[in-house]
Amino acid sequence: MKVPIGWLREFVDLPVDSQAIADRLAQIGFPVEDITKRPALSGIVIGRIATLERHPNADRLLVASVDVGDGRRLNIATAARNVAVDQTIAVATIGAQLPSITIERRKMRGFESEGMMISADELALPAEWFEDGILQLNGDAHLGEDVVQWLQLCDDVLDVEITANRPDAMSVFGLARELSAAYDTPLRSPAGMEPVAPGGTDPQGVRVTLKSKDCTRFVAQRFSDVRIGTSPLWMRVRLALAGQRPINNIVDISNYVMLEVGQPLHFYDADKITGRHLIARDAQEREPLTTLDGAHYELKPRDLVIADEAGAQGLAGLKGGQKTEVTESTSAIILEAANFNGARVRRMSAALGLRTEASARHEKGLAPILTDFGATRAATLLAAEGATVHPALIFGASIEPLPPIRFPIGEVKRLLGFELEGEKIDAPLEDLGFGVTSKARDRLDVTPPLWRRDVTCAADIVEEIARMTGYDNVPAELPALAPRDISSAEYFVERTASRALQALGYHEIVSYSLHGARVLEKYATAGLTSLPLAEVRNPLSEDQRYLRRTLEPGFLEHFARFREPMKIFEIGHVFDPSGPVDEHAMAGFAFTAAAIDEPPWSDTHFLRLKGDAEAVIAELAGRRPQAQAMQLNGFHPGKTAALLIDERRVAYIGAIDPRLASAYDIDLEVYAGGIELENLPARVAPRFVAPSRFPTTQRDLAFIVPLEVTAAALETDIATAAGPLCKHVHVFDEYRGLQAGPDRKSLAARLTLGRDDGTMTDSQADEVVERVLSALHQKFGATIRR
Amino acid sequence: MSDLGQRLKQMQARFEDALAAAQDPKSVDAVRVAFLGRNGEVTKVRRAIGSLAANERPSAGRVINEAVARMEASLDATLRKREGKAFEAALEQSIDVTFPAQHPNVGSLHPIRRVMDDIASYFERHGFAIVLGPEAEPDYYNFDALNIPPDHPAREGFDSFYLSDDMLLRPHTSPMQIRTLEAFAPPVAVIVPGKCYRRDAVDARHSFMFHQVEGLLVGEAIHFGHLKGMLIGMCRELFGVDTDVRFRPSYFPFTEPSAEVDARCPVCQGSGGTCRMCGGAGWIELGGSGMVHPNVLRNLKYDPDVYSGWAFGFGLERIALRRYDIDDIRRFFENDPQFLEQLA
Ligand SMILES: [Zn+2]
Repeated sequence: MKVPIGWLREFVDLPVDSQAIADRLAQIGFPVEDITKRPALSGIVIGRIATLERHPNADRLLVASVDVGDGRRLNIATAARNVAVDQTIAVATIGAQLPSITIERRKMRGFESEGMMISADELALPAEWFEDGILQLNGDAHLGEDVVQWLQLCDDVLDVEITANRPDAMSVFGLARELSAAYDTPLRSPAGMEPVAPGGTDPQGVRVTLKSKDCTRFVAQRFSDVRIGTSPLWMRVRLALAGQRPINNIVDISNYVMLEVGQPLHFYDADKITGRHLIARDAQEREPLTTLDGAHYELKPRDLVIADEAGAQGLAGLKGGQKTEVTESTSAIILEAANFNGARVRRMSAALGLRTEASARHEKGLAPILTDFGATRAATLLAAEGATVHPALIFGASIEPLPPIRFPIGEVKRLLGFELEGEKIDAPLEDLGFGVTSKARDRLDVTPPLWRRDVTCAADIVEEIARMTGYDNVPAELPALAPRDISSAEYFVERTASRALQALGYHEIVSYSLHGARVLEKYATAGLTSLPLAEVRNPLSEDQRYLRRTLEPGFLEHFARFREPMKIFEIGHVFDPSGPVDEHAMAGFAFTAAAIDEPPWSDTHFLRLKGDAEAVIAELAGRRPQAQAMQLNGFHPGKTAALLIDERRVAYIGAIDPRLASAYDIDLEVYAGGIELENLPARVAPRFVAPSRFPTTQRDLAFIVPLEVTAAALETDIATAAGPLCKHVHVFDEYRGLQAGPDRKSLAARLTLGRDDGTMTDSQADEVVERVLSALHQKFGATIRR
Repeated sequence: MSDLGQRLKQMQARFEDALAAAQDPKSVDAVRVAFLGRNGEVTKVRRAIGSLAANERPSAGRVINEAVARMEASLDATLRKREGKAFEAALEQSIDVTFPAQHPNVGSLHPIRRVMDDIASYFERHGFAIVLGPEAEPDYYNFDALNIPPDHPAREGFDSFYLSDDMLLRPHTSPMQIRTLEAFAPPVAVIVPGKCYRRDAVDARHSFMFHQVEGLLVGEAIHFGHLKGMLIGMCRELFGVDTDVRFRPSYFPFTEPSAEVDARCPVCQGSGGTCRMCGGAGWIELGGSGMVHPNVLRNLKYDPDVYSGWAFGFGLERIALRRYDIDDIRRFFENDPQFLEQLA
């Protein structure tokens, strides 16, 4: 909210330095986002045009004699068109400081001008919001008075951020109240602002019926003898500094009061209200309304309207209607100062896509007392404009004091950690308008002021005391903790996985969990169907529609974009579309590599990938998984494996389907794997087996076996057949082709044999090999390749 | 006997010649094998003992053993001499130690993880557990249980991605406050790092996906001073031991009193101006914090008159941007290899 400091000064004495004020506001919870610096201005006084003549030597120039008080007259030449005798205007005298120039004596076509008449531009006000030419003071000022001081033109403007719980501070006076408490200086109220006296009557006024519980209080007041015109300059300047464009005296007063007091107002042309009856009610289905800005709405019962007997005349708390609009010809007006349910206004505002200064205040839930403050303040300003003021009428709930809050003084120590008592507690609360009564030695009853409905419990009161005392003054200390033992295992699994992958040469990436249809298109291009995905209902853009189901699309995007061979990994959640979403933590890793010229039954890159996966899993689980061929969407049908521990899948690895890689325009081979972190068993400590003191002996054997016999199966069978003398079996080569025969292949394995109680002899080793050969021959018809 | 003595003498002469000819340790060893090995010359001489008379055998054995001992001593001495020469040559070599290193193929960790792990380590050291939670959460955990009922104006600040009427991608890590307190009665001390999502337009400072770290401490006699103490310690660990930390009153429905936390800019030391690091503010906004609202404790059936606690939620990108002097938040998600390698 833009807050001219000059306006604040009307209610509270403040330091000169704008930054000091901004800092103080931040300390009490109102951060200042920006300070608009005003230029240095001086030497501008109020004058009256006494005489006006044509310049002797120039048709386009006029020469005025301007009375600046104390019998002083200044002769001033001007090219402006909107000047006339008897106008009150602002004059920059010789030596005056304006935003871009200093006024000096100068000759205009042989005539010596003793100053300059001022337009909005020269006061650094938005020229398009003010009259063309010379600024008109509308006669409301003393001749000779300093204009800069009078209009507080050199006071900066603060842009203050106000939190959602403080609609009471969404006004100049509300912030002035906070500052008066913060600086411990007196607060002056706006002229005329007070509670409305109940029991007022006005035979020619409107009757108001509140048919919806969402309008709780409605102050209506009639003003007659209204003359629509330009507002006084001081008001227009304040509105302009606050960022509000001046329109006419009635619109300006409603804006001025809203900015000053915080209560949005609406004025109706009294003669256009059908039946002199206003009704706050739900709109009818498809009820039409044209608002002040000319927009047409077809309303719904969800919308709260203020209607007369002919139909809806305005959207409650949002915008007035065109039919009852105040115009040039209006002579009597009805003021509306109403209190609405904030949630209702917010829902309407969202549904209609309409947000106004008024709704921004209403939707936060205003205090009902503000209706009174707004009405009485407006009445004072309208009276000054010459309107006849009739009694204000109150409809709806009366103003009830807020219930007192029990406040044990010990709460300060319990929640802030340090002791405060007596004056240190009472004074800041009382400065903010709270009523404080001592109920016992250690307990207060604290009654919030009518406008502080956000304060409802002891903790709220502690915050009031803390922010006035200053958060900086709360002593910092470290807690002495003995908290419950809560497992950090999930986090450490991710941390360990990240370190293991890093050590293996992988670089960590973080990609977006949301993606667009592009992924689906890539799968389609590759001739693959993609699995169903969880969807976001309200993405901001189409590339945020889907939740990733796996990490591979992120890897593929990365490889497509950065074309160098690289090893990357990502740890994050993936999402399945069930009920509506089921998420899992994954550690994915991938690399690209140039294809190696090798026989079709072998893939060295796959074995590298498998080695990396086994290393990471061993680090996480303390043991190595078993591999099993599997099919996986997006992966090569013959080069993909599930990795199992205790029969449970803990990871998958494989070559990316070359068609998919090609759909991403990646011309390298892509390999990827994913560790399903939630499926990993807890890490077990491996058990140490003391190595034998005796030498081992090795035998390399090449078996001809059927194609479907896997290396893992062969190793297991060899180990089983060989018995305890076989320390290790390791398949190290595979060959398919003529020498192996059709439907058969050769697998070469190295057996490491040894005894724990002595050196193994050749004949003992031969015995073991014979046993293995005969067992494998029986099982697979395996023969030895010579 | 003299026959044996003769053979011994001749063998020793051949041994001396062979040893003199051995110019390197390997040749010396070959001499050892030729003479003292299993099938060496000494063994052959020993076999000749068998042809001697029984009473001559012991003295012959002694003579041979003495000869062997001399040969071994002489072998060792020669070996040491030859090795010494080898070292001499080795020691004469000299290299340029400033030559560029051959780097191993190590990977890198994402800067967000580095910041996350550093914060986690700090809190772990102080007795906090580190827990993780789901990213898709129902309204209840995101809002209702956190004292943000439907129609609460604060919901506006959380423009969220919805997956169903009730399920959304969490806009903050605070749902884990509720999940933790549901699972464990106070005293609890946890921090929760993780991804969050908001429907923010993406620019240099905003991302629709980002990371937060949540902190929660609830127990008896936990107060705002403890919040200050822990967070000041954290900032000093992240930004340097002299870092000033500022707490400003603010508003969050789930804390009361509430505070924004700023750390003094480590580059301009708070003077602001044209400082790029803090955008001229002099301070770096870390995020929100405060004492857990009594309604939140009440929602979880804990008596707010007995238990008190605090919570905070900081943006990790915001911290990482400052810590590594990164100009644009989007770089964290572009994963340019040069970016990753530089910050490794
Ligand atoms: Zn800075």
